[in-house]
Amino acid sequence: MASPESLTTIVMAVLRAMRVTFLNLFRKPVTVHYPDVERKYPNRFRGLLALTYDQETGEENCIGCRLCEYVCPPAVIKVEMLKAEKRNYAKTFTLELYACEFCELCVQVCPTDAIIMMKSFDLATTDRREMLLDKDRLHAIGLQHQPSWATGNRLRDAQTPPKGAPRPHPPQEPPAAKPAPSPTGASA
Amino acid sequence: MIDTAVQSQVAIDYSAGERLTMNMGPQHPSAHGVFRAILTLEGETVVGVDAVIGYLHRCHEKLAETLTYAQYPSIASKTDYVAAMTSEFAYVLAAEQIGVVDVPKRAQYIRVIAAELQRIASHLLWLGTWCMDMGGALGGGATVFLYCIRERELILDLFESLVGARLLYGLFQVGGVRYDLPDGWPQQCRDTLATIEQRLIEYERLLEDNPFFLARARGVGFITRELAEDVGVAGPLLRGSGVNFDLRRNLPYSSYGDFTFSVPVEPEGDCFARYRVRMVEFRQSIAIVRQALDRLPDGPISSRPALKSVAQIRIQKGEAYARVEGPRGEVGCYLIADGSPKPYRMKWRGASFSNLSVLPHVLPGHKVADVVAIMGSVDPVFGEVDR
Amino acid sequence: MPAWLVAALAAFAVLNVVLVIVTYVTLLERKFAARMQTRIGPYRVGPHGLLQPIADAVKLVMKEDIVPDAADRPVYNLAPIVFLIPCMLIFATIPFAPGLGVADLNIGILFFLAVSAMEIVGLFMAGWGSNNKYALLSAMRAVNQIISYDLPFIFSALVPVLLTGSLRLSDIAAAQSGLWFVFYPVIGQLAFLFFVISTLAAENRVPFDILEAESELVAGFRVEYSGMKFAIIQLGEYAHMVGSSFLGALLFLGAWSGPGPEWLGPIWFLIKAMLVFLLVTWVRWSFVRIRVDQILTLSWKLLLPATLLLLATTAVVIVWRTSGLT
Repeated sequence: MASPESLTTIVMAVLRAMRVTFLNLFRKPVTVHYPDVERKYPNRFRGLLALTYDQETGEENCIGCRLCEYVCPPAVIKVEMLKAEKRNYAKTFTLELYACEFCELCVQVCPTDAIIMMKSFDLATTDRREMLLDKDRLHAIGLQHQPSWATGNRLRDAQTPPKGAPRPHPPQEPPAAKPAPSPTGASA
Repeated sequence: MIDTAVQSQVAIDYSAGERLTMNMGPQHPSAHGVFRAILTLEGETVVGVDAVIGYLHRCHEKLAETLTYAQYPSIASKTDYVAAMTSEFAYVLAAEQIGVVDVPKRAQYIRVIAAELQRIASHLLWLGTWCMDMGGALGGGATVFLYCIRERELILDLFESLVGARLLYGLFQVGGVRYDLPDGWPQQCRDTLATIEQRLIEYERLLEDNPFFLARARGVGFITRELAEDVGVAGPLLRGSGVNFDLRRNLPYSSYGDFTFSVPVEPEGDCFARYRVRMVEFRQSIAIVRQALDRLPDGPISSRPALKSVAQIRIQKGEAYARVEGPRGEVGCYLIADGSPKPYRMKWRGASFSNLSVLPHVLPGHKVADVVAIMGSVDPVFGEVDR
Repeated sequence: MPAWLVAALAAFAVLNVVLVIVTYVTLLERKFAARMQTRIGPYRVGPHGLLQPIADAVKLVMKEDIVPDAADRPVYNLAPIVFLIPCMLIFATIPFAPGLGVADLNIGILFFLAVSAMEIVGLFMAGWGSNNKYALLSAMRAVNQIISYDLPFIFSALVPVLLTGSLRLSDIAAAQSGLWFVFYPVIGQLAFLFFVISTLAAENRVPFDILEAESELVAGFRVEYSGMKFAIIQLGEYAHMVGSSFLGALLFLGAWSGPGPEWLGPIWFLIKAMLVFLLVTWVRWSFVRIRVDQILTLSWKLLLPATLLLLATTAVVIVWRTSGLT
């Protein structure tokens, strides 16, 4: 245990380890100064859920078909349909956000892209009742934040491309121009 | 003067020499989850272990009977929440085996990429928490932990760009995957892998010859080859005891046969051997992901139409057992389908559940401080144990 | 002014300065450790976290003082104070500048070493008085460990004493105005190395802090203390650490000698002490801990023979040099 060779190897190993920690002293800290600095969310971020309005007509997109209610694994969505002449609406739409798993299945099945997820995750609250979202709240969230790229139609098109659409060439090399920036802006 | 009446309130079991029963309770800072080990100590040495599990039981197997094949993959992630892709993989593989569902090549490659990235992330967490158990939350262990978490964040960012979620994904579905690679993702992935490769060298410099680390890890927690084969452990525990078995190579699934990678095997069976196995697995996973990115074929990402309703996927009558090589060992899903959208029965083979059964054989004879080192190198995740 | 009043005022001043240094040394450690882990330490309380130690102190004062029912009250209550007093008393003999110190005893270093070992009494009282088997086990191990490492500590601290020929701390500091003892070939570096290792262990710092990881990471002998009593124990530990850093800076790094005018001496001393402290912190945040039997093996089988050998070698070298000169 006290032989000179093993002692020098021990000392060198200890110094090597300390060198690693020392070099890390000079790296830029990876701390993100939230909430002073806003976090950059990627395009497909699964954040808060929201109901949308149609871009052109301004009508609610939701037709009360209840597909989202049936597909939800923890069954947090409750919808009542309201029949009208031209199309149906949702009479009530409640979503229990405190039990939601954020699995995006409801977004995937929605035929009209009515329910989508937003690029925001600021849900901290002191009252759990604020997380039982009703229809008005869901529509308000839809207007407040940036929507995520993943809407129902886009997700379904990615899995079953519509007939005639060319299969996008998978990007194997970086584009000739400036490489696509990392959506999160993360680097070490 | 100590009051004898007061002294008797502290019931120390001094029968049979110096035997002491100590509870390593369900809540303890050894960051593995809820696990109770009732240790019988003689002085400093452990002479018996009574393991109590079940604190995290959430009835996954019954839950699978009430959820359809479309819904359950998102829930399957929650069994092994540290390596969520693995559990989803096993479930959809079982359903595809019964239903004889074809999975397109591109989807298979994406599955491999996701599974291997998940292996890297899981091993990073393992390394961090193991060193933290051994080194303390206020000390060198915390340093290694924070370095590993810093690298794991890069992989979680990759998953976030791909799927939208960081820990529990829902990427897999019967017939393929739900999401395709976005633009710029392969390049981001390659950059991340390059960074992680550099940092792995740093970790090895920090730990490999470190006399303090070697004193804690070498010669501790021997699992002999016979014990490993008898008890039925899998994964790095098995390969660290000299058994050359890896499901990805022995029983290739999902085009693993297309990739070239080596399987590390170490003969000694102590904690250091398992550490070496996992460090080599890091690099092999990086190699596999690179090969998959290079050769990623075009094509659809799902052989079934996109999910439009909850009961869309029906699997005909049959049963199958699908196994995947997870970071902790073999994760298996045994599924009995009966033609309806929901399975009749689903059973998980949890890798950590089988790995934990080696503890009563290995722990006796070690000191109390070695218990955390050995538990850390076994790397249990209690979501898998209790389901 | 009567001499005793001067001494009392000096002691009061030193105590206060030491308390402030010790409190802010916790912040220094946290920021340094954070930077080594590529993060920022305390940041939001005050500019760059400068008010963090004060916030911590206020928090600890406001906490409820929970005393276990079965604890041995007098022992339990006295233990933090008995632990703190030696840790503060060691600053009495340290001269911060030539002539500036509370009590420059002619057995200065002996006083330091003897008094700093008395914290073991307070530590054991804490473990015993808690009436908690984990605290007791940890306290017994702590006593074992500290006593084992006090011997190499003393022997490595004796090397500068031999090189100077006096036990008075200001003499040792003055003897380094030419060459600091740490630069003496081989002997100086080895003595400094053993000093740092022994300090780490006598302080229960990683890699030797098994008693804090004892019983699966319960806090060892301090487990039953909360609120201000816990704060006093923490204070005592850090005060001992800072005191050992000052001693190390004095014995090996030349105390107040440094470029610039005379009045910069204490500033240099503080900087050197902080460098020793940061060295210990650097080691602390780089390594995992080792088991208690390995700690004791290291002490009795490696450090003790090594420091004894070093001491003997130093004596031989000194005799050879002085006889060679005549």
